[in-house]
Amino acid sequence: MDKKEKSDELFIANKKLSFQKEENEKRAAELVIANNELIFQNVEKGKRAAELVIANKELAFQNEEKEKRVAELVIANKELAFQNGEKEKRAAELVLANKELLFQIEEKKKRAVELIDSYNEVDELEKRVKERTEDLESFSYSVSHDLRTPLRAINGYADILEEDYGTVLDVEGKRLLGKVKSNAKKMGVLIDDLLTFSRLGRKGITKSKVDMDKLLQTALSEINQSTTHNAEIKFDNLLPAVADYNLLQHVFTNLLSNAIKYAAKKEKPLIAIRSERNNGELIFSVSDNGVGFDMQYAHKLFGVFQRLHSDEEFSGTGVGLAIVQRIIQKHDGKVWAEGKEGKGATFYFSLPDLDEKKIENE
Amino acid sequence: MGNNRVEILLIEDNVNDAELAIRAFRKGNINNNLIHLKNGAEAIEFLFGTGKFEGRDIHNKPKVILLDLKMPKMDGLEVLARIKTNELTKAIPVVVLTSSKEHPDIECAYSLGANSYIVKPVEFDEFAKVVTDLGFYWLLKNQPPV
Repeated sequence: MDKKEKSDELFIANKKLSFQKEENEKRAAELVIANNELIFQNVEKGKRAAELVIANKELAFQNEEKEKRVAELVIANKELAFQNGEKEKRAAELVLANKELLFQIEEKKKRAVELIDSYNEVDELEKRVKERTEDLESFSYSVSHDLRTPLRAINGYADILEEDYGTVLDVEGKRLLGKVKSNAKKMGVLIDDLLTFSRLGRKGITKSKVDMDKLLQTALSEINQSTTHNAEIKFDNLLPAVADYNLLQHVFTNLLSNAIKYAAKKEKPLIAIRSERNNGELIFSVSDNGVGFDMQYAHKLFGVFQRLHSDEEFSGTGVGLAIVQRIIQKHDGKVWAEGKEGKGATFYFSLPDLDEKKIENE
Repeated sequence: MGNNRVEILLIEDNVNDAELAIRAFRKGNINNNLIHLKNGAEAIEFLFGTGKFEGRDIHNKPKVILLDLKMPKMDGLEVLARIKTNELTKAIPVVVLTSSKEHPDIECAYSLGANSYIVKPVEFDEFAKVVTDLGFYWLLKNQPPV
């Protein structure tokens, strides 16, 4: 080998080397670029990774949220189901309640019909009561007229007989005629009493404040005019009452006449009238020291025509106390009596303790 | 005043009551010229000169009329209404006789113009007294219509 050859060879080798070096440098540069690129990509990847982590977390969070929501929905679903159930129950209850209401409405209709019926019945009863009252009125008129007319004739002709033929009759004849007259007279009193009794049933009452002491005085002077007696009668400062003056006077006239009559056989007849206030009631009493009565017959005292004594013992029609009871009942009061045979009797009556200003007259 | 002057007209269907009333008047010496008629229709005929009293001098009017309320056919109230609504008779005093003060027609009688009423008592003595007083009152104290 020559030198040239060798130099060529060297040159070529040099060239090769420089080429290689260039190539290497290029490669190096490329590598740097690639490296940079890799670094960049790395960084990017890192970023993406971080982003992914975040996205992942977000997804996880969203997942959790979704699960929560699902759980919530499940709960809400259950709740809805429960509410549905409740609503169905309520609906069923409403159906029942509705039926109950319908039933009640039917019942009410029935009751309304019944009420109308009972109103009609009441009307009918009132009508009948009115008719009966009218019957009673015409009856009492007939009694007073038709029974009194023959009585008047009996009495009148007996009087004529006595006047015109008195000289012809012997003592027995006159006694018998006297019997006719006294019985006719008694029947007249009986009819009058009965009429008073029936009239009281129909008559309304007019209430006012009544001074009882004054009323008793009036009743007493009325009695003293028609009856002679030696009874000592005591009363003082009686409570005033709100009542019908005339009717109450009738009550006291009856009770006092009775007391006088049944105490008349005593040596010193004593009669006391008292009053007291008790539980919203005024209680008045008339006591005597007369023959009294057996308490086992007390319930008979106030009945019409009921008597505890014979006419020979004590005369009377048996209507007086019935009248007393009727008057007191019309005042919403009560009557009762206490007594003992031979030890006197006390007759009581009660009246509501009314306020004079609040009275309503019938 | 002639003997024929009618003083008392008694309109009463019950013969016993009428007899007793007439006797009571007689005892009180006021029995003259008392006419007793037994029903309302007869009384109207008498007062107005019709029927069986056709031709009677209707100006010969009673000084007082005693009128029973309860009579068959024409009752006392109807007679009273006829008397008190007629110019000829309305001034004659009319006293209504009734058996009871319970009588619902008493009020009606007053509204028709009755001058008074008396309840016929059961006792004859009382009856006689009432009838006599009544007779005196209307015959003597009251100026009769001319």
